[in-house]
Amino acid sequence: EFRPRPPPRVAPADSRTSGSEPSRLAMAAAALRAQLNALLANMFTTGMVDEQFQQLQSLQEDGGSASGFVAEVATLFIDDADRIIADIAALLDQPVVDFDKVDAHVHQLKGSSSSVGAQKVKLACMHFRQFYEAKSKEGCLMALALVRSEFCDVRNKFQTMMQLEQQIAACGPK
Amino acid sequence: MAQQSQDIQLSNRLHTLRMNGQAHELPKLILLVTSEADKDKYGSTFNTVMCKPLRASTIASCLQQLLKVDIPARKENQNRPSFLRSLLVGKNILVVDDNKVNLRVAQAALKKYGAKVHCVESGKDAISLLQPPHCFHACFMDVQMPEMDGFEATRQIREMEKKANEIKREQSSSGEGSTFVEWHLPVLAMTADVIQATYEECMKSGMDGYVSKPFDEQQLYQAVSRLVVGTADSAS
Repeated sequence: EFRPRPPPRVAPADSRTSGSEPSRLAMAAAALRAQLNALLANMFTTGMVDEQFQQLQSLQEDGGSASGFVAEVATLFIDDADRIIADIAALLDQPVVDFDKVDAHVHQLKGSSSSVGAQKVKLACMHFRQFYEAKSKEGCLMALALVRSEFCDVRNKFQTMMQLEQQIAACGPK
Repeated sequence: MAQQSQDIQLSNRLHTLRMNGQAHELPKLILLVTSEADKDKYGSTFNTVMCKPLRASTIASCLQQLLKVDIPARKENQNRPSFLRSLLVGKNILVVDDNKVNLRVAQAALKKYGAKVHCVESGKDAISLLQPPHCFHACFMDVQMPEMDGFEATRQIREMEKKANEIKREQSSSGEGSTFVEWHLPVLAMTADVIQATYEECMKSGMDGYVSKPFDEQQLYQAVSRLVVGTADSAS
């Protein structure tokens, strides 16, 4: 697990060094950026996100998309997945389960996780298929638990990513 | 054909055929060797000798020589983005998908090439925007949507165009009798399952092609470039 490094020591500010405040912010921003890079690297190496997420990053950097694009898509995905997972849970809670509807919802989540590059969620959705095809409520409940678990992991990482981005932006322009 | 010591009989046989002037009965023969040194040994028996591991450029130039075909220069691949840009810049594109995440990502991917992208979440909304006359140059249509899927939406779009074209035809024949450009919006299916069945259903419902979801630049390039070839004579 990533542990943030403590910021480097700086000399205490006094009236003679009033210019040190901006550079303290610059150092804080640099430390935050290092945290963000380590987080992103970890998400790629663990397979949590794939090349499609990289595509989103490059659309933001040099694809003409606005600077908040990745955060915007991540947020859309989190809200969308939250809703779909709740809907699937409700469907599985019925006395008679409508497996076709479960299929439709899982398909939706597979699509959106694929678009955002949330690879583990996508794979969990693909794993789900055999259980609603077999019309197995037990199997579906297990598969949903896996989907939920993978989603919570990536949601937490996305939220940390967005927090770090906001903190970096708060340090002022580069 | 890979060279091994047991195949020395084959090599001799081929050599004999060549000597007897029977080489024209043979297909073009390309020998694969693992070392540069082997290349010189068998050159007279085989049409060409290539060194393993094979590189696409080696195969391309080899085939070019043997079969006298022209293979497009590899650097064409590097021009995919600028080609896509030249086709899509300033164009009004409609993207139809019931999922907000997919819509947002598809929109950004097309805007990268300078297109103006409008998004709707259902086939019904798409149909209301695509009643002729409209200003869209192309439509990317999700195949699997609740209520109305992409195939049905496209069928209805073609119906609307057919009616509009009939009216136009009547009007122009009663006038100067000059030719007019028919309504035909290029519609590309967006599908996560790129399989044969999907392709056939796409064509049957009146679509012009399909791309994978999420977009892959090479697929996008292939699908969009086919549109240009196919619709050279229709509405632009």
